Amino acid sequence: MMSERISFYDQIRNNKIKSVLLISLIIIVFFILGYFVSYAFTPDYFFIIMILSIIISIFYVVIGYYKSDKIALASVNAKPALRSEYSQYYHIVEGLTIASGIPMPKLYVMNNEQINAFATGRDPKNSIICVTTGALKNLNKQELEGVLAHELSHIANYDIRFMTLTAVLVGMIAIIAELFLRSFWFRGSSDRDNKGNMILILIGIVFAILAPIVVRLIQLAISRKREYVADASGVKFTRYPKGLADALRKIEKDHPTENKKINKAVAPLFISDPFKRKIQGLFSTHPPLTERIRILERM
Amino acid sequence: MVLWTIFIIAAVLVIIFIYYYNRFAILGNRIDNSLAQIDVQLKKRADLVPNLISAVKGYMKHEKSIMTNVTEARKALLSAKDMPSKIKAGDNLQTALKSIFALAENYPNLKANENFLQLQQELSAIEDKVAYSRQFYNDNILDFNNSIKIFPGKLFASLFNVKGRPYLEIKESERAVPKVKFE
Repeated sequence: MMSERISFYDQIRNNKIKSVLLISLIIIVFFILGYFVSYAFTPDYFFIIMILSIIISIFYVVIGYYKSDKIALASVNAKPALRSEYSQYYHIVEGLTIASGIPMPKLYVMNNEQINAFATGRDPKNSIICVTTGALKNLNKQELEGVLAHELSHIANYDIRFMTLTAVLVGMIAIIAELFLRSFWFRGSSDRDNKGNMILILIGIVFAILAPIVVRLIQLAISRKREYVADASGVKFTRYPKGLADALRKIEKDHPTENKKINKAVAPLFISDPFKRKIQGLFSTHPPLTERIRILERM
Repeated sequence: MVLWTIFIIAAVLVIIFIYYYNRFAILGNRIDNSLAQIDVQLKKRADLVPNLISAVKGYMKHEKSIMTNVTEARKALLSAKDMPSKIKAGDNLQTALKSIFALAENYPNLKANENFLQLQQELSAIEDKVAYSRQFYNDNILDFNNSIKIFPGKLFASLFNVKGRPYLEIKESERAVPKVKFE
């Protein structure tokens, strides 16, 4: 029991450190990207572009930090849940906040037939839980409680800050890298005569290709591990592993549907992969459901 | 040089002392706070009882004894002074309420009453919350007791004279569904 406690608090500290590391990493990536972009296009205005890219990256991180929850909610088209309409949803989350001692999150609902849910925000005081209408319709009380406890432990463990930040920042790096690469399709090489210049530009291109992939791999590896931890600490709140296990089983049987409305960047936020990809590996956002159910059944 | 070493050791000792003193204080406060949460939920339950009685009164004319049971249990809860007796009274009230809901099965009109259904849902949610607040209380007791039983916390606990605190017992008999006589 003691070791479980320690690992629980360690997890929170780890997440806080990782969030800081991630933000610094992102700023560095922005910095390097800015360097190559300015070098490739306008060496004359090198300093101005560098300073601009630093200002933009800091500005972007600050906005990402404070607005990422709103961006995530808007990208899946979620609406605030009305207390009168979703009283059971409210009752369950209120009970779980008492069991976990964390503040009440804001509750949202997204219109989707799939059984799914996610949590977002920057800390437990500014947190949001969102479930699909499919989850509210198809899960019984114990199952819904298991799923919501899983989401609440993402909040309690400070997973939400880290995951939401990465979701927003990884998306941005991908966009900038892609813009940089595409710009070469529309440009001749007439104004580049210097050989050293060419090498730098080549390094820039390689960097622009690799940066989003590497950042994404890091994000996914962390995301998969986090799901197991959230399953375990969610059960600590409900003391009923069967609820979550049954819910995961229902999710497993759920028919895979096209989810064009959900942006791929926010996939790691959900309790199960909204795209239902069958192949497991480096690029999976979630660990296999069967494995999660197996672990829950042993609790 | 020796003076400095002594000074540093003393400073470290003071910091460790302060750390443990504060740790016990924080963990103890958490326990008191979670105890207050149990109280809040019990109070909410008591507050809903008059509404339930007035919703049910018209339908259950022949169940006077159960109504008085509930009203009495509520009075006992509101007049309870210390926490153990409050918790006990809360359990009694829950048992009395359960017999009302069990009896309601015999009254189809009552079961169709929107107001009654809402109160039933509300009260069952409060039952969950009472259980969760007790669980949280016991979790905090566990943290506190661990911190004073495990070395080196044990050392400081005896220095500051901090004692372990008892868990809230939840009796099996109180969790059972009450038997209701039908006449």
